Amino acid sequence: MDVHDEVLDLIGAWALDACDPDEAARVDAHLSGCATCAAEARRLRSAASWLAADRVIPAPPALRHRVLATARAARPPALLRTLVGAYAGQAALLDRLLGAVRQDDWGRPDPRHETVGGVVAHLAGNDAMLAADLGLPVVPLPAGAGVDVHAAWREQSRVIVDGLAARDGELDRRVRLAHTGPPPLRPLREALVQRAFETWIHLDDIGAAVGRGATTPPPEQVRRIVDLAAELLPGAITGGDEGAEVGTVRLVLEGTGGGEWTLPCGPGDHTTIYADAVEFTRLVANRRGPDSLVHSTTGSPAVSTRVLHVAATLGCD
Amino acid sequence: MPPDESDARLRERLVAGDGDALAEAYDRWSGLIHTLALRITDDAAAAEDITQDVFVGLWQRPEAFDPERGALRTWLCMLARSRALDWTRRREARARYHAAAGASAAASPAYGDIDDAVIWHTETKVVREAVQALPDLQRQAVHLAYYRGHTYRQVALELNIPEGTAKSRLRLALANIADRLAAEGILER
Repeated sequence: MDVHDEVLDLIGAWALDACDPDEAARVDAHLSGCATCAAEARRLRSAASWLAADRVIPAPPALRHRVLATARAARPPALLRTLVGAYAGQAALLDRLLGAVRQDDWGRPDPRHETVGGVVAHLAGNDAMLAADLGLPVVPLPAGAGVDVHAAWREQSRVIVDGLAARDGELDRRVRLAHTGPPPLRPLREALVQRAFETWIHLDDIGAAVGRGATTPPPEQVRRIVDLAAELLPGAITGGDEGAEVGTVRLVLEGTGGGEWTLPCGPGDHTTIYADAVEFTRLVANRRGPDSLVHSTTGSPAVSTRVLHVAATLGCD
Repeated sequence: MPPDESDARLRERLVAGDGDALAEAYDRWSGLIHTLALRITDDAAAAEDITQDVFVGLWQRPEAFDPERGALRTWLCMLARSRALDWTRRREARARYHAAAGASAAASPAYGDIDDAVIWHTETKVVREAVQALPDLQRQAVHLAYYRGHTYRQVALELNIPEGTAKSRLRLALANIADRLAAEGILER
């Protein structure tokens, strides 16, 4: 039996890690030089890894937090890379959706930006504002057809992702946040959370316009959007001239990205608002009305109503 | 077969320290890894520890995964299986020690007891059908090798068959499963 035949004879056992060590070593050595056997080895080993998938017993929910916390303690994540990665991930989803829309979809109506093409132009404009604040090239927006706007948006997005690849010290740098009013100056870390947030919301806007279903972002992203809202809310709530005491507000959010947030909003009693986390982020984006968000409250219903109304103004359309 | 592009991208993000990439990997494969560890160890606490080890290890040393050599899920399964088999062997060694000392090994919850918690994915059904479609003799051999960590020689001994037959049963079983999964478009995804 030549070595080729010997390897094929052993390859099932090898894929199951069921050879003697010296046999496994001979197979490994042969695989690095034989593409045919290597392809078969990959195929069988992949099949072996599916064996356990004939039923899936989910890990206990509490294990997720334990694993992620242990991992992060062992090796702290790079925050800039994480935030840019989340933005790039949403941009990739939108790019894929836009790549699949038909020519006549670009003119489909959008309630805020007239058409699907208008949504992409708006998004590209807000990305360009961040690029400008970071000293990165600003991609000019073509007046023409949807596909050109798509290409310009994608290029602007790529400029941001690539431009931030090596800028780890700049998370606190002040840049403009997109806003319906005058853009507030906030740290880059918040702007990146907002870019991912806005890209997701417009992904769903366009999805709705062309008849696709809504998406749910990864839990970490949902949590960061709520973090950002929780950061902005106290100032927005107490900054008004109504003067009423608000007190401490707790957000208890469930589902994907859920958790608890405490908002210090001056003196007064405690009010707790319970809702779904993803739905709350849609409220922040003003895609849900404060009155249509499913929620419950303990403490002051008036404070709760006010918090939800202010939350719905934090977005940038 | 070209390496899975999304695996390569995920690896790149892990290497760069993208914390969300780890959460994504966990959300995608923790069910599979946990199931595999639970089936081999038949011990809930061990299955959790192994799941943790596998994902913390992926986060600490993502460079160890080589996308050229197979899919990330395959690699994670191999790590989990090897740790679970190690754990089982240590337990068996402890049990022998305790038995010799006159003590009885503590009973662990039976795997069958937790079967109610199973979640059925679309893929699950395909894999289940592929495994069920195997001739009994092939399935038996694969189970001994995969879940109990037997070498083909031990499989041959246990089933009282020639070693060559054990090897060919293992190979045929995996090839059958690979064919069915490929036909359903879920192999190497």
